[in-house]
Amino acid sequence: MVRKKHRVSVMRRLHRTLGASAAIFILFMALSGLAINHTQDLELDRKHVSQSLLLGWYGIGGPAQIRSYTAGGNWLSFADSRVYFNGNFLSTLANGVGAVFNGDLLVAAGGEELLLVDREGGLIERIHWDQPDSGAIDSIGLLENGMVLVRSAENLWVADTQMLRWQPLEQATVTAGWSELAEEPEEIRQAVIQQYRGAGLSMERLLLDLHSGRIFGPAGILVYDILALIVGFLAISGVILWLRGPGNGKKKYKKF
Amino acid sequence: MFRKIHLGALFFGLVLPKMLLAATVYETQAEFLDRAFNQLPPDPGVAWISGDRKSAVYQLLGHDYPALRIRYWCRDTRSAWILDEVGKDLPITVGVVIVDNFIESLRVLTYRENRGGEVATPSFTQQFNGSALDDDYSLDTHIDGITGATLSVRALSRLAALALFLQSDVGCSDGS
Repeated sequence: MVRKKHRVSVMRRLHRTLGASAAIFILFMALSGLAINHTQDLELDRKHVSQSLLLGWYGIGGPAQIRSYTAGGNWLSFADSRVYFNGNFLSTLANGVGAVFNGDLLVAAGGEELLLVDREGGLIERIHWDQPDSGAIDSIGLLENGMVLVRSAENLWVADTQMLRWQPLEQATVTAGWSELAEEPEEIRQAVIQQYRGAGLSMERLLLDLHSGRIFGPAGILVYDILALIVGFLAISGVILWLRGPGNGKKKYKKF
Repeated sequence: MFRKIHLGALFFGLVLPKMLLAATVYETQAEFLDRAFNQLPPDPGVAWISGDRKSAVYQLLGHDYPALRIRYWCRDTRSAWILDEVGKDLPITVGVVIVDNFIESLRVLTYRENRGGEVATPSFTQQFNGSALDDDYSLDTHIDGITGATLSVRALSRLAALALFLQSDVGCSDGS
């Protein structure tokens, strides 16, 4: 009888100690679980982490290369398949080859697509480049009259003023200013790197890794496993203690 | 810890860029237009997304369209639209052919997400054929979902509704 009471008392002490110790963990799991369940409502998959320490922890570095071009006093920078307008993310565009400003529109050229951009960096249109008998875009430039032209597989194509249609152009007749690489200012470079790194880690990914413990590597998973077992123990010990009744294990005081 | 960081660097340095660049082109724009207009596509027109049209597009998509103008091709009561909408992370490019305010065909032209590409199969896209807009600007046809491709299915449904709205809004439906 005494032994049984002692067992219950030990269980109660363990239940209380472990329960208090695990409270923060349980609270965190509940809140992170709630957030993960409502990822879309909270737009966690669209929000990105910009904290440098966290990005470094994930091994997310800057782009391998930044290629920048000036157009109309603005900087268009290509980093992998992303393009930035004055250091701010504009859109995705693979294999960037240049950018020009025709006095009205900025035109950024990738290998397979062109982006029309207004003066404030708003995307007007994404143009898919698939002219017949032409390959990927090699370069983009301006004619003396401000018309936009591109070079593709050694052929030249010139756009109309609205950038809706393209016409082939004879090489010999053309005097064009081609978009050329330029070295971007340091603040533009840093802004691009910061945003590029931030785009690599969504809040959803971070929360999932925090929720599972994977953010801390194998040790984190092990700790979370132990905590999960503790929560399981708390559930079982709680039921047992409840079944034993409210008096068991409590110190009894003599009434005077 | 170092192994974790190395794995992270491997994922974000090598795998992720490839995922971002991976795109499946099912049909080029030129092929789509040739098919839509029997090898003789008309000159393109432009629908500017501004004013009341911008508000309506926002209602249909739940967000602004990611461009200020949309190119379309129209002849008589037939029009063709090439539209982009993000499924989960990356834009899906879709071509929609509309005749007399009904969808004649919807085709995924380019799929960039790394999951959910089943929406490009004809057995799925054929569900849109014959669809029109009802009074509250929703598709009047039920579209069966695909497990694991829910966001892509929704994106295609939104684009189908957007194309139908734009067709009537720009006046192509009355043959102008």
